[in-house]
Amino acid sequence: MNLSVKIGTAVFPNPVTVASGTFGHAEKYFDLEEVKKLGAIVPKTVTLLAQKGNPPPRIVETASGMINAIGIENPGADVFIAEKLPMFKKIGVPLIISVLGHSDEQFLALIEKFNKVDGIAAIELNLSCPNLKHKVLVAQDPASTERVVSQVKKLSRHPILAKLSPNVTDISDIAAAAEAAGADGLSLINTFTAMAINTKTRRPVLGNLTGGLSGPAIKPVALHMVYRTAQRVKIPIVAMGGIRSTNDALEFLIAGATMVAVGTFNFVNPRAPLEALEGLKAYMKDNKIKDIKELIGSLQI
Amino acid sequence: MEKIQNKFRVVANEKLCPRFYRLSLDAKSLVKAIKPGQFIHIRVKDSLEPFFRRPFSVYRANKTADIFYEAIGPGTKILSEKKKGDELDILGPLGNSFSLPPKGTKTVVMVAGGIGVAPFLIFSDSLKNKGYDLILLYGARTKGHTFNMKDFKKNGCKVYVATDDGSVGVKGRVSQLFSKIPLDPKTTFLYTCGPNPMMAAVQAFAKENNLAGQASCEEVMACALGACLGCSIETTGGYKTVCYDGPVFDLQEVKFH
Ligand SMILES: Cc1cc2nc3c(=O)[nH]c(=O)nc-3n(C[C@H](O)[C@H](O)[C@H](O)COP(=O)(O)OP(=O)(O)OC[C@H]3O[C@@H](n4cnc5c(N)ncnc54)[C@H](O)[C@@H]3O)c2cc1C
Ligand SMILES: Cc1cc2nc3c(=O)[nH]c(=O)nc-3n(C[C@H](O)[C@H](O)[C@H](O)COP(=O)(O)O)c2cc1C
Ligand code: FES
Repeated sequence: MNLSVKIGTAVFPNPVTVASGTFGHAEKYFDLEEVKKLGAIVPKTVTLLAQKGNPPPRIVETASGMINAIGIENPGADVFIAEKLPMFKKIGVPLIISVLGHSDEQFLALIEKFNKVDGIAAIELNLSCPNLKHKVLVAQDPASTERVVSQVKKLSRHPILAKLSPNVTDISDIAAAAEAAGADGLSLINTFTAMAINTKTRRPVLGNLTGGLSGPAIKPVALHMVYRTAQRVKIPIVAMGGIRSTNDALEFLIAGATMVAVGTFNFVNPRAPLEALEGLKAYMKDNKIKDIKELIGSLQI
Repeated sequence: MEKIQNKFRVVANEKLCPRFYRLSLDAKSLVKAIKPGQFIHIRVKDSLEPFFRRPFSVYRANKTADIFYEAIGPGTKILSEKKKGDELDILGPLGNSFSLPPKGTKTVVMVAGGIGVAPFLIFSDSLKNKGYDLILLYGARTKGHTFNMKDFKKNGCKVYVATDDGSVGVKGRVSQLFSKIPLDPKTTFLYTCGPNPMMAAVQAFAKENNLAGQASCEEVMACALGACLGCSIETTGGYKTVCYDGPVFDLQEVKFH
């Protein structure tokens, strides 16, 4: 049975990974033998300079999901490379490093830093963080997306994934712009801008007023966005948005995704990605599928 | 390495007073591993509602691992309906633990508000017969929030109670009981757990009197593994996660709002 997939020149042993910002401290909490089975690991987004994050409360649960406004709290690229990356590398699973720049220059500076680092499979550009106070996100404008991705592509020695925001009219327009700019793959979707109100105090629940909705609540919308995008572009898609089970993972693969990531549901069931992987193998065996590529985009209409 | 995620069976789930329940789990690996002040993260139901797990301090770990909880919302209500033999999906032990009192400590004072008393039974289990004077100051809203504290007394704790309505013990907030705290910074060490306004009062009192201590904090949690950075609170050292850097912090380090 062949489960391996490719994005640009990067090869992954299987299509199951974790979404940025939802996986950490593997060395302390998880059975590393189990974590080693993942197809890839995507650490939390790293910015050029350290960010302290948003004021609490930063999360609230919703019907079948959650809203978060973490504010990309991270130690900055240099500290990440010096202190966190060695631990991630030790796990031995291909790494997709998520980066976010507040300007084109910052994106390029980040790429330069990671060009000097070995042991990375690919770079994911977080073009879609809804928590920082820009008017329009890069991922909400095809021209900006094309501009950032093409500059990054010229500089990077690693394959580039563009991570897109669902807070747009037609996500496939942005996807097409990223493809035209030379992206090796796409990650979709990030979270939907959302809010919650405390009716006792009539104040917003989140310290940041708004946040991003994720979890099973967004899965059907994410699935449609992945399907629509897969119809339009040829580059591989890493799909995420509410995935919690084998069946969810299968739906996204059949809709055209090359890889699937478990995000929010890691918080409910930390073994969800591994269970989805086991289930995927069982499904392939039961259906006599020898290569995962037979499954990808196999939707019958 | 011990697995962090396990299924454990409920051995008992009893109402100990009108507001509080004690749930005991057949969880040998937890009993062995848990340190006073640590917590567990419980999936109260195998469904999407409620969505998050719920965090609870471990109340006691002898034969069984016990939690002591107040049924205040949908998650804790579901928990209160669990029966002997039911299975629960649990992450734990999680977080740091109370440090031992510094050298020279004679009096350990635990200041608890409401269900914040939970981590202090396992803590007093670990401190008994060690030569400390143990004092528990317990503040509760009403009589319904008070319970038989014989387990604390058996551990040698001197227990003082205050209720908001005066139905049990002294009338007023737990701060009415601060007069019981020996004011010698060299020999008194404080621990507190409860609502933020109460812990803020303990912090102010400690500062005024140069007493050192630790506070066990709460915040809404998603992962409880230090991964999502969702449970951060403000400290003098910047934002820190309650689940991974805490729940126990230096008393003066936390900025209570
Ligand atoms: C480290 C830690 C230890 C705890 N130990 C205990 C304990 O020993 N006994 C006990 O009864 N309770 C304890 N709590 C609080 C307990 O987790 C909440 O009372 C419980 O989650 C409420 O869930 P609910 O669905 O019944 O209520 P709801 O109010 O409906 O909960 C809604 C949301 O708010 C969160 N929430 C509500 N109250 C609190 C709170 N005080 N702190 C943090 N999050 C909260 C819930 O987790 C949930 O996400 C602890 C909390 C933390 C963080
Ligand atoms: C707490 C939290 C933190 C997140 N942090 C990041 C981040 O740092 N970078 C990023 O690209 N996406 C981040 N995301 C978005 C997820 O990677 C994912 O795209 C989104 O949540 C949808 O997938 P899900 O429904 O499976 O979580 C975060 C999501 C959550 C819930
Ligand atoms: S709850 Fe996720 S970091 Fe604490």
